[in-house]
Amino acid sequence: MLTLITNNSDLFSNIKNAELIDGSSLDVLIRVRSLVHLGSKIITHPLCGNLRPNHQPFRSVLIDSLKGPAEMESLSIIEEAVHVYESCKLITPNELDEDTRADYAYIDSELLRESLEQYGLISHQNLDAAPLLSMKEE
Amino acid sequence: MRLELHRLNVKSLKFSDKTGFADGTLSVNKAELLSLIAEDPLLGKNLDVDIAMPGEKVRVMPVKDVIEPRWKIEGSGQVFPGMLSDVETVGEGKTLVLTGCAVLTAGKLVRFQEGIIDMSGPGADYTPYSKTCNVVLVLEPSDPNMDKHDYEKACRMAGLKAAAYLAKSCAEVKADTVDVYEQANIREGMNSFPELPKVGYLYMLQTQGLLHDTYLYGVDVKRILPTIISPLEVMDGAIVSGNCVSACDKNSTYSHQNNPVIADMLKRHGKDFNFVACIVTNENVTLADKRRSSSYATKLAAMLGLDGLVITEEGFGNPDADLIMNCWKAERLGIKTALLTDEYAGQDGASQSLADSCPEGNACVTAGNANEVIHLPAMEKVIGYAEEANVIAGGWNGSLADDGSITVELQAITGATSELGYTRLGAYTL
Repeated sequence: MLTLITNNSDLFSNIKNAELIDGSSLDVLIRVRSLVHLGSKIITHPLCGNLRPNHQPFRSVLIDSLKGPAEMESLSIIEEAVHVYESCKLITPNELDEDTRADYAYIDSELLRESLEQYGLISHQNLDAAPLLSMKEE
Repeated sequence: MRLELHRLNVKSLKFSDKTGFADGTLSVNKAELLSLIAEDPLLGKNLDVDIAMPGEKVRVMPVKDVIEPRWKIEGSGQVFPGMLSDVETVGEGKTLVLTGCAVLTAGKLVRFQEGIIDMSGPGADYTPYSKTCNVVLVLEPSDPNMDKHDYEKACRMAGLKAAAYLAKSCAEVKADTVDVYEQANIREGMNSFPELPKVGYLYMLQTQGLLHDTYLYGVDVKRILPTIISPLEVMDGAIVSGNCVSACDKNSTYSHQNNPVIADMLKRHGKDFNFVACIVTNENVTLADKRRSSSYATKLAAMLGLDGLVITEEGFGNPDADLIMNCWKAERLGIKTALLTDEYAGQDGASQSLADSCPEGNACVTAGNANEVIHLPAMEKVIGYAEEANVIAGGWNGSLADDGSITVELQAITGATSELGYTRLGAYTL
């Protein structure tokens, strides 16, 4: 069964099969690694988004929840991703003001949108339009 | 295919009542340009056009895209096909180029994106766009509640429109210099230079989603299978950037138009190797897409009987996986590879540079460490929004000091570690 592991509550609320992680982006990756050890396969790359970990408070990874021996490709990819995130200073969602949090959450959702549509977990209408919070007066 | 680039060498810019070119000066009718970009109902009332010249104490930020003004004066199609113009194939005929000039689009989109261009000082050494005469569009949306997709498109189109307008306005002027590029068809190419190795270029394009997209003839590249393109089409704007984040290593539309890998491979064609084909591919999010595209792109290379492939990446992290898959799949098909990337090795340079690797990736060129920290002194004038330094990718809360100086990683500087090699700093073998 396809499952989304995420700390992005905006995305979580739109997906049927999702597990919400109350924590950092690294906590999400560590949870995915545990599931890969138990046999799950990674569907979307855990490092998606052209931003460094210190600009990625949200992580969402689509996996195929399976039981069995660990699949080596998934294991290699998640280990690399955990290594990248462990080597950086992270920001957590609860450190951010609401507008910045919402922008990060939106980009995280957008990066997964195509994949979630491709795998039938979401239809385009499920994700709300995102206003340009950056244009609001300070 | 044969393409002539008719170059007008722009050495200065001025506002005037008529847009045109004479004696090295590009004159810009500001009101006319403003009314052209203001036609888009998605853009707001407070639009501005400014000028940033090499050597000035001017900072432009946040910069979204950089575009070189070009206009086709002969041949099929028009520049930026499928985006600004019809979808006809480009790459043949004559194209007017305002060499030394660039259009910059600036404005806020989301809080942690876009780049800095300093026209003087230490930051200027790291961006090639400190040496171009820049026409800067400062943009805003008509409605602050507008969807980001719509606003990103509006900014992208404004830049393309302005670039085409400037070059079109100079279409009657005789060129200062003419560069001629020719590329044989594949049958002729295959039979040419039998003693030389057959080499191709695998051109990876960023395609992860909003703010991470690239367009080929107007088609979102995340939806294509890898395909073959003539390098001459790229010079006419067949590839357009919609990629905004990570300023240092996003390929601006300007760097696509002036792709130095293509330029050098054309230059060395028939001397060091036989440059047979250019293959474009994507960098998608799902592993299935990555596997499909890397298998397909390297299959095309094998079908063409290539001996070698130059592979350029765009971005970092997730695309490292695509780069590495392309590398080992090509090598295992008997095709030698050389990779061009950049590094995220931490501020001390001690961390792992790429998120992925393989033993076959043993010929790799780096454009530099994007995490290197740089101090940018205050400028006399900022076009755009200086406060974005605190949230820009490569910056942090506190990057903008009270005196107007900025401390950031090179990541924040537009084009600083271009993975096409379109940079001002490099090393040469003598």
